[in-house]
Amino acid sequence: MNIESKLKKVLDRGDFAVTAECGPPKGADPEVVKSKGKVLSSYVDSINVTDNQTAVVRLCSLAACALLKAEGLDPVFQIVTRDRNRIALQSDVLGASALGIRNILCLTGDHQSFGNQPEAKGVFDIDSIQLVQTVRQMRDTSQIMGGETLTEPPHLFIGAVENPFADPFKYRVARLAKKVDAGAEFIQTQCIFNLNRFKKWIGLAKDQGLDNKVYILGGITPLKSARMAEYMAKHVAGMDVPEEIISRMKSVPAKEQRQEGVRIAVETIQALRDMDGVHGIHIMAIEWEEIVPQIVQEANLFPRPQV
Amino acid sequence: MITAERKPLTEIKEMIAPYRKVLVVGCGSCVAECASGGEKEVGLLASALRMDAKISGKELEVKEMTLDRQCVYEFIDQLTDVIDEYDVVLSLGCGAGVQAVAEVFPKVHIVPALNTTFIGETKEAGLWVENCRACGDCKLGFFAAVCPITRCAKGLLNGPCGGSRTECCEVDPDVPCAWQLIIARLDDMGRLDLLRKVHPPADWSKQQGKGPRKIYRKDQRT
Amino acid sequence: MDQKSAGLNLTIFFCQQLDPDQDVNRRALEKELGERIRFFPLPCSGRIDPLHLMRALESGADKVYLVTCPEGTCRYREGNLRAQKRIAFTQELIEEIGLERERLELIITSAGNPVTIDEMARGLLAREASVGPSPVRVS
Repeated sequence: MNIESKLKKVLDRGDFAVTAECGPPKGADPEVVKSKGKVLSSYVDSINVTDNQTAVVRLCSLAACALLKAEGLDPVFQIVTRDRNRIALQSDVLGASALGIRNILCLTGDHQSFGNQPEAKGVFDIDSIQLVQTVRQMRDTSQIMGGETLTEPPHLFIGAVENPFADPFKYRVARLAKKVDAGAEFIQTQCIFNLNRFKKWIGLAKDQGLDNKVYILGGITPLKSARMAEYMAKHVAGMDVPEEIISRMKSVPAKEQRQEGVRIAVETIQALRDMDGVHGIHIMAIEWEEIVPQIVQEANLFPRPQV
Repeated sequence: MITAERKPLTEIKEMIAPYRKVLVVGCGSCVAECASGGEKEVGLLASALRMDAKISGKELEVKEMTLDRQCVYEFIDQLTDVIDEYDVVLSLGCGAGVQAVAEVFPKVHIVPALNTTFIGETKEAGLWVENCRACGDCKLGFFAAVCPITRCAKGLLNGPCGGSRTECCEVDPDVPCAWQLIIARLDDMGRLDLLRKVHPPADWSKQQGKGPRKIYRKDQRT
Repeated sequence: MDQKSAGLNLTIFFCQQLDPDQDVNRRALEKELGERIRFFPLPCSGRIDPLHLMRALESGADKVYLVTCPEGTCRYREGNLRAQKRIAFTQELIEEIGLERERLELIITSAGNPVTIDEMARGLLAREASVGPSPVRVS
């Protein structure tokens, strides 16, 4: 198959990659997905589509990726293990490749109790690391779990996530190593507000030579308000929002907080560009995709390389 | 042990409503341990049912009996001589006990007074916690005897997830993150090497089975 | 109307440390009221079991008291604390069948004022009746 992953090409060339997240709608309208795609298109290399994020029912990632692909974009198919068993997951992997999707991001997914269907059965037949391993095996050896041969392997650039801000800190790099061993080729991290902690993590990853084995894209989320910063700090699991960031947002009048949030995001990106071991950024502007062009431009990452 | 909790009284009353003579049968094993179906609990329930009947002017004869175990024929047999005197048996056994009794006396209506909940330990006086999901393929040796299937909300075999902060599970702040515990213990024992390799996917067929699972011991069969 | 005049059946569980001569001291009232008053001495009030309370109500008691030693003086350290929890538990059980919580009452005696079981019981009988005859016995 001749289609290639744009993200992979950018990273292989040594360029600082830019990806952004696109959240599908809570409805069946394809135009919402297409218009988000249009907003992001020339400002990113690839677009991630979330998979029923926070266990909330949304238009499925696979369909949204197909819609973006049809618009000429390079989607990253996010797939969680919470909702589907190994039969369905492997099947979706084949389907994604058949639709011309060339990037996959394997996650476990937020627990079902967080979403709008808390009575659902959480499947968790396999976990995200086992999924990475499975996709890698399908791609490189044409075999599904159990060893049966595929008539055509999926062609996918394989990614996973890591959270440098969750506990226990000292195990987070061992976990990254495990994901690399399982076959992860790129990593997108949880959004970064605590640069010191992130720097420490990258340092530990570099000590183990992991930055040479896997592409690391630092997560960026622009803050919309001081309240958002506080909410994330207190109520979102695994998030680290330092006090200085919160006070900085608070020190600015409400009307200007969005721009302050953008400023912080741009500064963070600049710090990441200067950090050895970071190969790109992943912008998660949840329900604020319109701001991505401004961030990419102000961070001097526009235009994107033509690959 | 297998743990259980007594059903709401309204539910129990509804089930025995058509009857006049009830035998309340307890179990001296697991449910006695978790204070839901032992001799004492039989006494409390029987007393409540008798008083309730008097208050509402209903005719109801309630007798009490407790078996050592409700899931073993030798003990269930103790009911043989008396069961015919009753219209219904209200069992305070776990689901296994209720069904075992019904296997021996299929013509008698056996109704459960408990909701069987989980396999667990008595953590402290008055506190029972789940610690096993009977997956049929025990992996405790790899995880410092902390079951990730039971005690990790997502059942991760290669945890922790990105949501574990300050030792609690992101789903319930009262639940310790099983993976933090696994890592801490293995680290303490100097066995973090057990987590290096990717733990392969579980064989869930051992837990799910093809319908009800069974154990068959040829050497123990008559 | 006080409980004695209302003709209520009283059951009194009490810690026998409160009155070492309780077996003698209670005879007068037992003779006077017969079945209407029942005394159950306990080696410690913590020995009370919800089952005892349920059975007392089932036998026709309108009001059941549990009398414990003053706070901090339990000979077995925690007896009166446990007694409190068990009364609370049993109150939940009787509410399920429509009986008022007030039918079970915990009395924590005060340290500076030791009384005999007879004086204690008379005091309880003199109290204003907060519940009527139990529906268990009048049905």
